[in-house]
Amino acid sequence: MNEERLKQIFLITGGIVLTAFCLLPFLWMIIISLGKNPDFLSGQTSFGFTFNNYTAIFTSSSVHLLDYLKNSLIVSTIAAILATIIASLSAYAITRLKFPGRILIPLLLLGFSMFPQISLLGYLFKMLSELGWINTYASLIFPYVTLALPLALWIMLSHFSRLSKELDNAALIDGAGRLKILSKIILPISLPGLFSAFILSFIFSFNEFLFALMFTIDYKARTIPVGIALFEGLYGQIPWGYIMAAAVIAVLPIIMVIALFQKYIMQGLTEGAIKG
Amino acid sequence: MPKNSETKQGYIFNIPLIIVVAIFIVVPVVGTIITSFFRDVSFLPEKFIGLENYKRLFSDTHFWQSFEFTILFVLISVLLEIFLGTIFALVLNENIPGKGLLRVVILIPWAIPIAISARAWELIYNFEYGLFNYIIIQLGLSSSPFNWLGSSTGAFFSIVISDVWKTTPFITIILLAGLSTIPADLYKQAKIDGTNFIKRFFYITLPLLRPVLIVALLFRTIDAIRIFDLIYVLTGGGPGGSTTSVSLYAFKYYLSGDFGYGSAISVLIFLLASALAILYMKFGRLTEEFK
Repeated sequence: MNEERLKQIFLITGGIVLTAFCLLPFLWMIIISLGKNPDFLSGQTSFGFTFNNYTAIFTSSSVHLLDYLKNSLIVSTIAAILATIIASLSAYAITRLKFPGRILIPLLLLGFSMFPQISLLGYLFKMLSELGWINTYASLIFPYVTLALPLALWIMLSHFSRLSKELDNAALIDGAGRLKILSKIILPISLPGLFSAFILSFIFSFNEFLFALMFTIDYKARTIPVGIALFEGLYGQIPWGYIMAAAVIAVLPIIMVIALFQKYIMQGLTEGAIKG
Repeated sequence: MPKNSETKQGYIFNIPLIIVVAIFIVVPVVGTIITSFFRDVSFLPEKFIGLENYKRLFSDTHFWQSFEFTILFVLISVLLEIFLGTIFALVLNENIPGKGLLRVVILIPWAIPIAISARAWELIYNFEYGLFNYIIIQLGLSSSPFNWLGSSTGAFFSIVISDVWKTTPFITIILLAGLSTIPADLYKQAKIDGTNFIKRFFYITLPLLRPVLIVALLFRTIDAIRIFDLIYVLTGGGPGGSTTSVSLYAFKYYLSGDFGYGSAISVLIFLLASALAILYMKFGRLTEEFK
């Protein structure tokens, strides 16, 4: 067999396997969510196409899945905005100003990012209890900012270090302050970097599970991953149809984000990981 | 600008970062280490007990069972992920139809919360009406369904399969970036010299990809050691505690109110991850020297 053909076969097979492998659980979610009987494969029941699972989770007030989704969106958005702002401030100072410790900050942060979450969990729980923050958005927002910061900082560092310092110097001569230079000159031309940092911070926060499991109690602050993970139903029988419909609704925003901004995500991830 | 004010401004810009990191990372870690030397159980007064929690840890067979499980899980899943990730990266690096779509598809497992996709996996592994058992029976691979989540071997491989699904994309993306730095001229020359693509892979791609492979390997290992979400949702650590990871084990003590012992377990995980992180930084520098 000639080489080109062999390679072609390898690539096409690889592409098909890859697609099937990545989509399987997601497709299964959709299929089960559209059926009356999640156990139809047993042969005892029929599939029974229906939209009832979706209407049920939107109309039943006791399910709270929409509350969980709302909490997730609010917490993740605020955490991602804060992480991006804090990272931009630090990255600007590190790339533009000479001060002792400027090399140490990103390195220490990278080291901290490797701390297992479990080694923060117990004590953080006590601290948040003392503050009376358990079951509030704040109990999640601040820990999430720290989870997202290392990657956000590395992304902003790599963007800012590519910008010429002449931009700053010209504005300095005109008498502008550093904060003004950052907000009026540097940030507007770093939008792709800001965007990468924001989106990745958002995804990190949206996906977090352990802190949300420990620091929230009910629908007032519980996020969607915990809500879906703990959803068992009232009468013993697991309501798979509901759970899968909720799962589809929960992951749709994320899938839309990656479909639209695939380039930024790939870029951000590789900037953070390769340099880090 | 005078040097003094530059230093001052440098710190002012970093104040938000330093405050957040100090309060929400440094204080909790130090607090956990201190707590690990105390008897800190609900309803009892706190008491300094020195190394008692650590002594208890070393003779706790359940802890060592979870330790063994975690190590075995890390070894098998990370190696599988690197292997598959390399193949996927090679495929995505070529000009194939639907490449843009494939790059979106590959991000899906990574971007969906694992606690949510674990519920879909739970259904796929279901004994009576799960997709996997349906396929096994229909294809005639076995006459009886396989007990995916109810047996310890089945539960182990269920966790490995789902974890490979979740994290292979991440490795693929990193390796893809590594592949794009290899000059195309090298391949052209090798092609002219008549080497086939398998040879080109072993003599050009693999050696040049090695630094990125090592980074991906260590990065994933540090991440896999702290596995929690997937196991919590998929098996709850069962059956019979056979799939309890060290993080889940510590979590169960926190949940029962034993913060002293939970902290001691956490400190051990912390030390393990730190050792790997130091190794990671060292290799990071090594790769710099190779260039």
